[in-house]
Amino acid sequence: MDSMSWSRRRFIGCTAVMLCSAGSSMALWPFSTPGGPSDIHGRIFKGDAPKTLWKWSHEAYAYRKLSKDRVVCGICPNRCLLSPGDRSVCRSKVNVAGKLYSLTYGNPCAVHVDPIEKKPLFHFLPASRTFSIAAAGCNFRCLNCQNWEISQAKPHEVRHSELFPDQAVEQALNAGVRSIAYTYSEPVTFFEYMMSTASAAKAGGLKNLWISNGYINQKPLLDLCKVLDAANVNLKSYSDKLYMKLNGGQLQPVLNTFKTLHDQGIHFEMTTLMVTGYVDDPDMFKRMCEWILTATGPDHPLHLLRFFPRYKLERLPPTPVSVLTRFREIAMAEGIRYVYVGNVPGHDGNNTYCHQCHRLLVERRGYHIPTFNISGQHCKFCGTQIPGVWNDHSGGQIQNPNTAGREMVTG
Amino acid sequence: MTAVVATGVSSVVTQLYTIREFLSQFQGNEIVIALFLFNWLIIGAMGTYTAHGVARHIAPARLTGLVAVLLALAVLPTIQLLTIRLLRTSLFIPGVSVGFYHVLLFSFLTMAPYALLVGFALPYSLFILRLARPDYPGNRIYITDNFGDVCGGALFSFVLVSYCAPFTALAIANGLLVLCALAVCHIAGISRKVYVPVSVVIIFILGAGTLVESWTPGAGRGKLVHTTESPYGRLQVYRQHDQYALFSDGMPQFSSHDPISAEESSHYPLSQLRRIDQVLLISGVGGILTQVRKHQPKGIDYVELDPEAAITQIAYGFLTPVNTLEVIYADARAYLNRTDKRYDAVIMNLPEPVTFRINRFYTSGFFRLVKSRLSSNGVFSFSFSGFDNYLGEHHRQKISSIYNSLAPHFQHVLLLPGEKIYFLCSNAPVSSQIPDLLAKKNVGTEYIDAYFSGNLTPERISSLNQSIDPGTPENLDLSPYLMTLMFSQWFDKYDMSPTVFIAVLCLLCLVYLSRLRPETFVLFATGWVTMGNEILVIFAFQLFFGYIYLQIGLIITVFLAGLLPGALYGGRIKHRHPFWLKITDGAICFLMVFFMVFILPAADRLPVSVYLAYGFCVSIVCGFQFPLALSIGGGGNSAVAHSFSADLMGAAIGTLITSVIMIPLFGIQPTAMVLVGFKLISLGTIHIFAGD
Repeated sequence: MDSMSWSRRRFIGCTAVMLCSAGSSMALWPFSTPGGPSDIHGRIFKGDAPKTLWKWSHEAYAYRKLSKDRVVCGICPNRCLLSPGDRSVCRSKVNVAGKLYSLTYGNPCAVHVDPIEKKPLFHFLPASRTFSIAAAGCNFRCLNCQNWEISQAKPHEVRHSELFPDQAVEQALNAGVRSIAYTYSEPVTFFEYMMSTASAAKAGGLKNLWISNGYINQKPLLDLCKVLDAANVNLKSYSDKLYMKLNGGQLQPVLNTFKTLHDQGIHFEMTTLMVTGYVDDPDMFKRMCEWILTATGPDHPLHLLRFFPRYKLERLPPTPVSVLTRFREIAMAEGIRYVYVGNVPGHDGNNTYCHQCHRLLVERRGYHIPTFNISGQHCKFCGTQIPGVWNDHSGGQIQNPNTAGREMVTG
Repeated sequence: MTAVVATGVSSVVTQLYTIREFLSQFQGNEIVIALFLFNWLIIGAMGTYTAHGVARHIAPARLTGLVAVLLALAVLPTIQLLTIRLLRTSLFIPGVSVGFYHVLLFSFLTMAPYALLVGFALPYSLFILRLARPDYPGNRIYITDNFGDVCGGALFSFVLVSYCAPFTALAIANGLLVLCALAVCHIAGISRKVYVPVSVVIIFILGAGTLVESWTPGAGRGKLVHTTESPYGRLQVYRQHDQYALFSDGMPQFSSHDPISAEESSHYPLSQLRRIDQVLLISGVGGILTQVRKHQPKGIDYVELDPEAAITQIAYGFLTPVNTLEVIYADARAYLNRTDKRYDAVIMNLPEPVTFRINRFYTSGFFRLVKSRLSSNGVFSFSFSGFDNYLGEHHRQKISSIYNSLAPHFQHVLLLPGEKIYFLCSNAPVSSQIPDLLAKKNVGTEYIDAYFSGNLTPERISSLNQSIDPGTPENLDLSPYLMTLMFSQWFDKYDMSPTVFIAVLCLLCLVYLSRLRPETFVLFATGWVTMGNEILVIFAFQLFFGYIYLQIGLIITVFLAGLLPGALYGGRIKHRHPFWLKITDGAICFLMVFFMVFILPAADRLPVSVYLAYGFCVSIVCGFQFPLALSIGGGGNSAVAHSFSADLMGAAIGTLITSVIMIPLFGIQPTAMVLVGFKLISLGTIHIFAGD
């Protein structure tokens, strides 16, 4: 045997190469950042615009024309720069021959009547119902999106109904609701439809609710505020890194939205989904509470929602209930007066307590309100003004209209 | 030759543990399983294909080279497993499941070093044997490798999977390679100063692996308090503050404080019944027993396939045992087939049908079986993933397919929307007014009482029930249409399409096929048909007999074991002539037609031994072909490398196409026909190009 024709060095070298080969595969991987990609923001769909516009197209609300027929969308901080034939990040705007069009004008893909508490809005017309509409598209890419089949879809990819603004208002009035909610997907992406509907709704005596991620530029937001009555805006975390990693957006524009809403005197509530292992960081949460207090004061309700595995973020456990309880306590200790716990049936954090006398003002059992101790805008016990827009109830029990449902029996 | 056996043992054990690791780190659907097997086989084929060239130009066949290969093979599985765990969390966002192309690339790269080397090792061992004896027959190495594979399969199925954790199992299986390497060093007279330190380092790495057995880096899961490797997967319990969460193969299954699922899955069906004697739970959700008990049934049977899962669920309080509870460790379908008991309610809590194993519980055949075990007005219920505000098209087709499969067996089927869609099926009318029904029964709930009226408005219930498409095909046992829809939705979710992959695969396949000789093409087709057959037999077996892990292991072992006598007989044929290839191709076609005509129609009445005998016969014929094709091809080093690789390539592509495309799209009978057709092409090829 001529085994020694392989030198010792060659033998050791060969073995070492074999041992290291598994690690070398890492170098070939397209993503090099530990913990996965650091930014999942959406991209423009080049050349993806339809050749011809459809019935539900409408020239976009705020955009700027550039040379060579290019346009810049001015609705959200993505500020999509689109050449002719391109489609925006949110999938619902296209550049056709140098004009920017929205493809979601009068074609909602989801239309439902919901309890207002589901939005969640706890300090605005409690126990009322709201006519909820959504069109396809979103300017974020949230990994845990519960409406991904419409938010991450192009308008032509979803089933939709025809409901132009006047028709939407008419249907809402027929349904006997007190408000219209622009919700589910991301209303910023169907801004034109929302604005027209909201104007018609206001004229028709309905309130307008904006349920959003708050990723919008100031000018369109100021215009929206003219017709807006209440909002629930997500504050997904207080970290730009997390916004980029889990949502594909940035934090600062969202913070700007809260300040604008506050300055414009719009009633708004904030929602934070406590994503396990990411958002449940006490230090970050304290910083978030500090910012809320400084920028918007203590009166805007904050909802802490229990996370459940959804969409792509499905390999995490739900948020422990004790974590939600603890974070609620942290927020209240920091000075936020109304902090709620969501997605946990029976939790005390569903109820409203007076920030002054700490007595129970609104007891909530899901969408039912068995106890209501607010008179006008004030605590029935100590007379303190409670922030929000309350029904003119003298107290007692509010019967949610949703309980009067029709039965469906097979056969 | 001992080294070849040890390599066979190592390769099978490593392959199975690697696949289990991937399943616990990634989505465990049938595409992903097929993709891992495909990658494994295709990389192995590359290693085999290049062996001749490498041995000629880069690393000449020498005993020292073999020692290096054996030692590397011994240590790479441990490193591979660690690499998979580390890279999973460092390359992907922790907690996120990933799509097709990421899984494809990740598994390819992490498997590549070992799979490439194990493919290379087989012909390389032969080249070394031929240094001493140039006429050493190639088929003997094939037989020896198969013997190692059979030993590895048996070792895994009957010993390791039940008694050892992954790193320990790998240390045992690959420790044999270290011993072989030391023996070769001794024979070759390699200096101890070289091999002893290297061996010590490798043994240290194998041992170190066992110390990090339960460690999986991850974010947001809390503290790992329990981990078990059962034959059906990895079970882990994490504690975070006061919450326990049970993960099965990396996916959260149960968590404490989850009243919503427990209330919905129990009260929706049980509220429909005034008096309840017997309830059957097919698997469960956290807290369900407590809720079921509110209806005061006389008896609750709980069927769980995996005893470890049931023990863990009870130990960590996800299920609170009640006096009337009987836990039955069985495949639910097999149990329902054999029991005479009648139930007032059957509540199924299984995951969605992303694998053939689970799909068996969503077919028309299964629904018929459940109905036959229900009392006259009994209720059957189960849930499917729900939607919040919009029912996507794939999703609509999925529930339509299930509805259309239920409709022939139940007079009343009601769908309730929500985070999960609940199917309530009965021959008596079913009402959607759950809170009222519960109030009449004086059953109090936390979630349903408070939220049902707002979440499940009449408009939402009616809209869901009206969205059913009556034209969607039923999901049948032998034609699992639902899986096609599951796959489509999976691609949709990640905004990916398999088109590019299929196009590239077809192109590479054509290039590869154009370079094959007729007798090697026969081996390619045989590899394809053998794997296709194995998948068909396992599919049919578990469909009719239930998922019994050891018996599935037995089928796989039989498919490997038949190759041995086949190859022995094939090697003894004196007049090696293409005629024999035609005879064996014809025999494979005959066996498959026999399977379609005689076995499938009577599949549920035949004993298990028939399946084993069929698998054994197919593999005997396939084993018989290999030495024939090898000797017809010349039997030289190059022919050996190409023959081995053709067999592996065929197996790789056969696995992927049979399980991911053919069975879900066309069903089991047409798939079997396509496999026969493919073998006929091989027969025609050998007839035209190789003559008589």
